[in-house]
Amino acid sequence: MARLLLKFESEILREIPIGTRPLTIGRAPDNDVAIDNLAVSDHHARLYAEGERLVIEDLSSLNGTFVNDVRIERIILRDGDTILIGKHQLQVDTAHDDAVPSPDGLRKAPAPKINETAVLETEVQRELLRQTAGAGAAAGAGAGKLSPGSPERPRPATLRVLRGRTDKREYVLAGKLTVIGRSEMASVRLLGWFAPPVAAQINRRADGYYLGLGDRVPKLNAQPIQGPTRLRDGDIIELGRVRLHFASPD
Amino acid sequence: MAQRQSAEADSRLHGRFLLRIDACALTDLGRVRKNNEDVYRIEPELDLYVLSDGMGGQAHGEVASNMAVETVIAHCREADGDSATTWFGEGRADLCERSNRLASAVRLANRKIFESALQHPELEGMGATIVAAWLDDRRLSLVHVGDSRAYLLRAGSLEQLTADHSLVAEHVRRGVMTPREAEASQLQNILVRALGTQEHVEVDVDEQILLEGDTLLLCSDGLTHMVTDPEIASTLITFEPAQAAAERLVELANECGGQDNVTVIVMRTLTEPTGLVARLRGRPETRRKRVGKKAPSGAH
Repeated sequence: MARLLLKFESEILREIPIGTRPLTIGRAPDNDVAIDNLAVSDHHARLYAEGERLVIEDLSSLNGTFVNDVRIERIILRDGDTILIGKHQLQVDTAHDDAVPSPDGLRKAPAPKINETAVLETEVQRELLRQTAGAGAAAGAGAGKLSPGSPERPRPATLRVLRGRTDKREYVLAGKLTVIGRSEMASVRLLGWFAPPVAAQINRRADGYYLGLGDRVPKLNAQPIQGPTRLRDGDIIELGRVRLHFASPD
Repeated sequence: MAQRQSAEADSRLHGRFLLRIDACALTDLGRVRKNNEDVYRIEPELDLYVLSDGMGGQAHGEVASNMAVETVIAHCREADGDSATTWFGEGRADLCERSNRLASAVRLANRKIFESALQHPELEGMGATIVAAWLDDRRLSLVHVGDSRAYLLRAGSLEQLTADHSLVAEHVRRGVMTPREAEASQLQNILVRALGTQEHVEVDVDEQILLEGDTLLLCSDGLTHMVTDPEIASTLITFEPAQAAAERLVELANECGGQDNVTVIVMRTLTEPTGLVARLRGRPETRRKRVGKKAPSGAH
């Protein structure tokens, strides 16, 4: 008769017979296979017979159900398949059951050990991010943004020169990195004889602009900065005798 | 038990701006794994530093990580000699040419690994992370895909420059998991982006101007899953020569369990004045000189 072997780090914890009745798998105690682990959703997956075949279906779980290292929504199981739920494995054993035909040459490579790295496929990722987007928005996080470096950026900010000698009076901060100083690579060029090669640097990140240290310590609103500091609309940057006004349209 | 595979040190005067750089890369098997799928390379002539962590069973991870590192270096070297070298993927207007070139190299590496896996079914499922830094005078271009990281220690504080492309990091960014929960999660090894698993890959790029006294650390997750950020910071502060810092970081990862291969590249700009003229003028930009590899590190 077909059975499932519940394993954790290659140790068999339990043997579960598969009958005609569907089996539910999840963290809640009312499941047929209850797995007490935070990576497992309350009602994570369901396993049932469909005619001659054995099927596993993911119940929109947060972290997904994987069969032989591939995240699935619903798939027909074959003898030897390894189901991964959280960090637990369920191995399908139908060796004494002819109802589920054994595949011929279709076997994928055995699922990797759990401590090995795996990559989610793009479709799965989208689905997963879509699922978590709602929760993120509720928590006030940047839902919808894939990651820092996402092409959807706010409009560029500007620097206006209030005092000091520079090559222009106003600069648009369109680049990822803006260098302020006497150096040739500076896009905000300081013309003073004693100006340092790099007086400060401004980094544009997904969530805004950050003023960073240069060869000297810049002041932001009259205070020396300690490290990268987020710029806000109306901030005054002081680099020696040069004063700059930061304006951000967002 | 821990077995060093290789070490490389580079300490010299640097380019036109005479930035002195002391660099060391080190990889170790760790205490659990049977083979090392991490690969690193320092290319002193190009000022290019590359690290990749491979994945895929039966040593195929090594195939992917080697391919990643070799491809990135070959593409950058070719472009360094010939700026008309073919570009891979769209360039970004907000990045400098060198950053775009490095991103192009990573996209090419992705394609090569992906196609190689298609052609050789036994390699199916192989992939790799990458983190690479390329220096143009003081301007640093940094790219990454996956969960290998870059850190910058500047003025005594450590900043992680890269955002992991892992499921747990994505959950933290979305606010559905706290950083502490992420550290304890059993899903830490699930990546949402890697080289070689998809036909196209999005590459994250950062740029920085390096300052005197900066330390850049590139590392595989074998370090960051074992050693906390404050421990990394204090090690980089305490052990001044790059080689000593690299050795201590690897040692720490192994002391904490050594669950995975661990690889670090420590790259440090030195603060010591480089000559009387430079000292008098307070800016070491005027002298042009290079010294050979392995200059005595007693200089600082």
